[in-house]
Amino acid sequence: MKWALLVTVAVLALVASVAVGPAAVPLGELLRSDIVWNLRAPRTLLAFLVGGSLGIAGAGLQALVRNPLADPFLLGLSGGAGLGAVLAIALHLSGPWALPLAAFAGALAALALVYRLGLMGGAALDPRILLLGGVAIGAFAAAITTAIVSLADASELRNAFLWLWGGLSSASWDAVLVIVLYAPIPIAVLLAASRPLDLLALGEEPARYLGADVDAVKRRVYLAASLLTAAAVAVSGVIGFVGLVVPHLARLTWGHRHRALLPAAFVGGGALLAIADTLARTVVAPRELPVGVVTALIGVPVFTLLLRRWTIA
Amino acid sequence: MRAFLLSVLMLAGCSSPAGRPHGPTARRIVSLLPSFTEILFDIGAGDRVVGRTTWCDYPPAALAVPSVGDGIPPNIEAVAARQPDLVVLYNSGPNVTAAKQLERIGIRTVLLDVNRLEDLGPAARTLGRLTGREKIADSLAGAMDSLAARPPPPATASITFVVWDNPPIVIGRGSYLHQIAELAGARNVFADLAAPSAQVSLETIAARNPDWIAVLSDSSVMPGFAKRPEWQAVRAVRDRHFLLLPGSLFGHPGPRTAQAVSELQRLLRK
Amino acid sequence: MNNMTEPLLRLNAVRYRYPGASSDALAGVSLSVGPGDFHAVIGPNGSGKTTLVRVALGALAPLAGSADIDGRPASRWPRQALARLVGVVPQREDNLFPQRVRETVLLGRYAHLSLWGRERPEDHAAVMRALTACDAQHLVERWVWTLSGGEYQRVRVARALAQGPRLLVLDEPAVSLDLQHEMGLFELIRGLVDTQGLGVLMITHDLNLAARFADSLLLLEGGRPIASGPPADVLTQQTVETVFSWPVRMETVDGRPQMIPLRQPKESRA
Repeated sequence: MKWALLVTVAVLALVASVAVGPAAVPLGELLRSDIVWNLRAPRTLLAFLVGGSLGIAGAGLQALVRNPLADPFLLGLSGGAGLGAVLAIALHLSGPWALPLAAFAGALAALALVYRLGLMGGAALDPRILLLGGVAIGAFAAAITTAIVSLADASELRNAFLWLWGGLSSASWDAVLVIVLYAPIPIAVLLAASRPLDLLALGEEPARYLGADVDAVKRRVYLAASLLTAAAVAVSGVIGFVGLVVPHLARLTWGHRHRALLPAAFVGGGALLAIADTLARTVVAPRELPVGVVTALIGVPVFTLLLRRWTIA
Repeated sequence: MRAFLLSVLMLAGCSSPAGRPHGPTARRIVSLLPSFTEILFDIGAGDRVVGRTTWCDYPPAALAVPSVGDGIPPNIEAVAARQPDLVVLYNSGPNVTAAKQLERIGIRTVLLDVNRLEDLGPAARTLGRLTGREKIADSLAGAMDSLAARPPPPATASITFVVWDNPPIVIGRGSYLHQIAELAGARNVFADLAAPSAQVSLETIAARNPDWIAVLSDSSVMPGFAKRPEWQAVRAVRDRHFLLLPGSLFGHPGPRTAQAVSELQRLLRK
Repeated sequence: MNNMTEPLLRLNAVRYRYPGASSDALAGVSLSVGPGDFHAVIGPNGSGKTTLVRVALGALAPLAGSADIDGRPASRWPRQALARLVGVVPQREDNLFPQRVRETVLLGRYAHLSLWGRERPEDHAAVMRALTACDAQHLVERWVWTLSGGEYQRVRVARALAQGPRLLVLDEPAVSLDLQHEMGLFELIRGLVDTQGLGVLMITHDLNLAARFADSLLLLEGGRPIASGPPADVLTQQTVETVFSWPVRMETVDGRPQMIPLRQPKESRA
């Protein structure tokens, strides 16, 4: 049964992520090891939560804008978060939470701008404007970011870009707690929108006549997906391809009914990111690859395979 | 490796339009790296330095030289405005491009490596040749060569240099900082990394458990990541065993490197 | 709650203009559809037929006059309650994702489901009943993309029926169907009216089929009602020629007027 298989894969991914790492911890000592409890365990959990958030946000977003190529980072959020983070680095803001908070604030600012743009056509959100506006705002923020990076201290140049490429190295139990408290509400909103999203696939007018509150659904799904993505970026930078590819992989097995697709995208995204992070930590140990690089390296071939299936089918 | 480096430097020195083996003596030099500025002043060619970077702060006389920006990347116009007959650059990708641009407007350039201490001697000799100060450059080079060749004392402590915290970036054996540590009797726990610097997992740092964490810092305040929860897994962070190394002394390999080694020894003894 | 003499749908002197438009899309339109009524709305392109449906269903609020469903203003109906009463087959729908017939008809049960609850046996039964009523039960496991145009339209009607409505609204349901499927669809709708007592409001451009199958017609031109009532009263030669600007000859089949367009002689074509 496919759910059993998915959950098994996820559990295996989590266990492997905790058991395996550049610091060789013998299996017998796993439970007692300080490194495992304080570094690997929170990092694994954070990878799962962030990957899951990106997966479910991507699935919701693809249904909302009715475009299977939508990725949570098309919303301009990553541009805004990157700008916030780089500003924090350039202004030498101190404090352990300065960077994630600044990134989150930047993402929210981008969200507000794109939302405002999306309302330009009238009272109802226009998904096409959301996509175009997201790309525009994202590009704008990226341009400002580059300008700041070019004017700031040289030593921060490379480091700012490395952060943007995504990484779970700042994972701690505090971060896990924050996500655990924050994510359930947007996730619940997305799950509640499962059936209306199915209706929306027929078009806005047919969905309305079938009884869906289309305007409310669009608003809620957009905000929930954006808030999840903003938190993910704030905690771990821009990790691409998870939000784009995981929904497609899930659709291959679970179809398009969002009641099954959304949870599957969550679990699948979490498993994928946990695996990618394990690879990022071990493949060139003791060095570490940015996890966004690993997800792209996995995601692009998978995506190409999917494309071939579609064009052949 | 050194032979190759020397031949590259000889070729660089042979790039003058006149075609003479070493070219005319440089009279107006723009130095785009603090190490070169310090060497030039040290060999008595300081009065010929007409441009420096904002990072070049030693010796104090260098501060009187006009700055042409931070040098990353080099501001071609600002450099050209100083009307140099020689520009000395650190050999990196972007600087190779900048050097080509300068050559195109008729300004002679030379690109020098300064990743490890053994690069310093050849750099000093080249600068000596280019300024006609060979004799004194030779003795400086000799001192720097013997420092580089000095057998390191037995290590009495372990150390890691943290360049950035998120993601964690540490110094490997490809950097002169690694050598300074070794000469001061501290073992770099990331000596197995060939590169000058590399991103590593936090858990690797925790597992290798260095006695000290060194950061280049001009303040006496603990670095920001000292308070982050995930860094508490590293014992040196928990015990607040930080070495705050002044940027000017430790960030500019050159004539003062021996002084840097002594300073680090002193800090380790505390 | 439900007044037996209250029509399912009533428009009273409705006026509507789209924002920024230079003229009214609907002006002074009245319409009444009760159980067992098959009401067809006909008229040239741009005469306001689709606007009428939108106003009738509360998607647009009339600027003057009233649009009521079951005695209550259409725009005040809660969405899901309205969907349980009125089934709509719009002109266009998207087919973004591959689906089976069973799944797409099941979407019609949305208004009957609770937020987190699963589909119940009665929902699946409603799906099969609806498919059977549309003579499409043999298609239940087929992929929607493999259906012919006629089969697909039947499935869409089945989806509307699965909502369990008392009123069915169809917007140009027979466009691009071939003769057999077009006739089949109209017979299907007529059968639903006769056997299940549904009220039907249908927009169609096919004057003859509207006249053959509907109980009453409403002819619109430029948003204005030109004629309404039994087909024989509405489809007269003079009316058709005036509104549609084309010469026709009228025939009678099964007691219903049928118009046959004439070819224009070459001389009178300007």
